[in-house]
Amino acid sequence: MATDRLSEIFAALADPTRRAILARLSESDATVNELAEPFPISLPAISRHLKVLERAGLITRSRSAQWRSSSLNAEPLREATAWMERYRVFWDTNLDRLDAHLRRIQQPAANNQEPSERT
Amino acid sequence: MDETAATTELVITRDFDAPREVVYRAFTDPDQLAAWFGPVGFTVPRATVDIDVRAGGHQRFTMVNDDDPSITSPVNSTFTEVIENELLVGTETMQGFPGLPDGTVMTARIEFHDLAAEGQPGKTRLVLRQGPFPEAIEGGAREGWGSSFSKLDALLAS
Repeated sequence: MATDRLSEIFAALADPTRRAILARLSESDATVNELAEPFPISLPAISRHLKVLERAGLITRSRSAQWRSSSLNAEPLREATAWMERYRVFWDTNLDRLDAHLRRIQQPAANNQEPSERT
Repeated sequence: MDETAATTELVITRDFDAPREVVYRAFTDPDQLAAWFGPVGFTVPRATVDIDVRAGGHQRFTMVNDDDPSITSPVNSTFTEVIENELLVGTETMQGFPGLPDGTVMTARIEFHDLAAEGQPGKTRLVLRQGPFPEAIEGGAREGWGSSFSKLDALLAS
């Protein structure tokens, strides 16, 4: 993964219009005109959003200049969510250990080894 | 709490059969943190733990692989918010973390809820929120994120 890849993906996803565009593209490919329809903003503004999404690798655009349609590319999203999933597994197992630790220190038989007081 | 992996903030909720101060201390007392922290196969040597529990303070320690001690994962986070027995918020600037661009600022927020009010005295609900947002976009990004992504869930699952 390129050094700044995830930052670029998250930055691209940070904008509500761009998220709406992605949601629209998850239904089907669409031209700039079709994508612009639900928004009260200009075609050039939509084009700028598409450029950001394309740079982040979230969409691909067909070469044909006249009927340039965009399609969603889910792979970067998969990378982002896979990364999140690793953290979830990390915390799940980590908190299992915390649970065991809390049981251990709370057992009367464990002789309540209180760590030295901090000041 | 039903958060899917497709949101960009990780939320984990877990109840512990221990009073709130005890759970809080497990995160803030160096001896205790060293006793449990780390994924399976890793331990945190006590000597690596340095914790200064206050806003602007830090939490530093190193997770070391049990089989190969040359594999280590240092943690160096700065507390931005501390309420004793209630809340810890820390940020960390990630460097050399696999799959994560250098300089990404991660925020971890750990809430400690006393469950006595819900008829479970002596128990604690821990709510952990962790976000990979670059700092600049963190504020405005959350709203509407979930709903946008839920539409993409099916696609991601395919």
